[in-house]
Amino acid sequence: MALRTAVLRHIRVPAQTLTLTGSKQQQWSLSGSFRFMSSHDDHLTREDVIERVLSVVKSFPKVDPAQVTPEVHFQKDLGLDSLDNVEIVMALEEEFKLEIPDKEADKIDTCNLAIEYIYNHPMAS
Amino acid sequence: MSGALQSAGYLARRAAQKERVRILYRRALKDTLNWAVHRHLFYKDADDLRQRFEANKHVEDLDRIDRMIDEAEAAYNKWRHPDPYIVPWAPGGSKFCRNPTPPPGIEIVYNFGREENE
Repeated sequence: MALRTAVLRHIRVPAQTLTLTGSKQQQWSLSGSFRFMSSHDDHLTREDVIERVLSVVKSFPKVDPAQVTPEVHFQKDLGLDSLDNVEIVMALEEEFKLEIPDKEADKIDTCNLAIEYIYNHPMAS
Repeated sequence: MSGALQSAGYLARRAAQKERVRILYRRALKDTLNWAVHRHLFYKDADDLRQRFEANKHVEDLDRIDRMIDEAEAAYNKWRHPDPYIVPWAPGGSKFCRNPTPPPGIEIVYNFGREENE
């Protein structure tokens, strides 16, 4: 048992499969980069995400629109409470047609985090 | 030392309760939208829900808070919508697992069956 753990600790398997499939996927997407009538490829640009997130936050009734910047913290800077935070995240979900798991939605408390999460989400639209 | 431990335990318990309340509020708010369907109905229901949470904002007793959260979660589970709205691509949604991306290496043969003619 001790030998097994010692061996397992020192053994390294080169992770080649990952890079292989990655390059194959690249080829595939190059050969047919446009999937006709597919809604999966309308990726949002970062500026687009920032603008729409800010507009959602600005239109929240308890927020002063002049204070909203991409770096703003919902509770510390905008004077909202945790339930308002929940409401903002739900509004963002509706704006971008997302379904964010509860535990992850709970962690989104700044504009920056929201922008990062939505920009990196494959299904955001 | 024990005082520090006690206050750490108190803070941890408070944080756990706050998280439970946030998640409960989130689920309840979504469920309100499921029941209300129309926006003009939803706004009023959401306000009512918010007021029910705000009413107990200043409760300090930890055990009482725990009990109230338990009751609220039981009520939420009792009144949960049987057929909630699910975003189409999410698990349980109408588009879930439909039209998945083809596996890598698969390609379309456009002249299939007519290879000899060309």
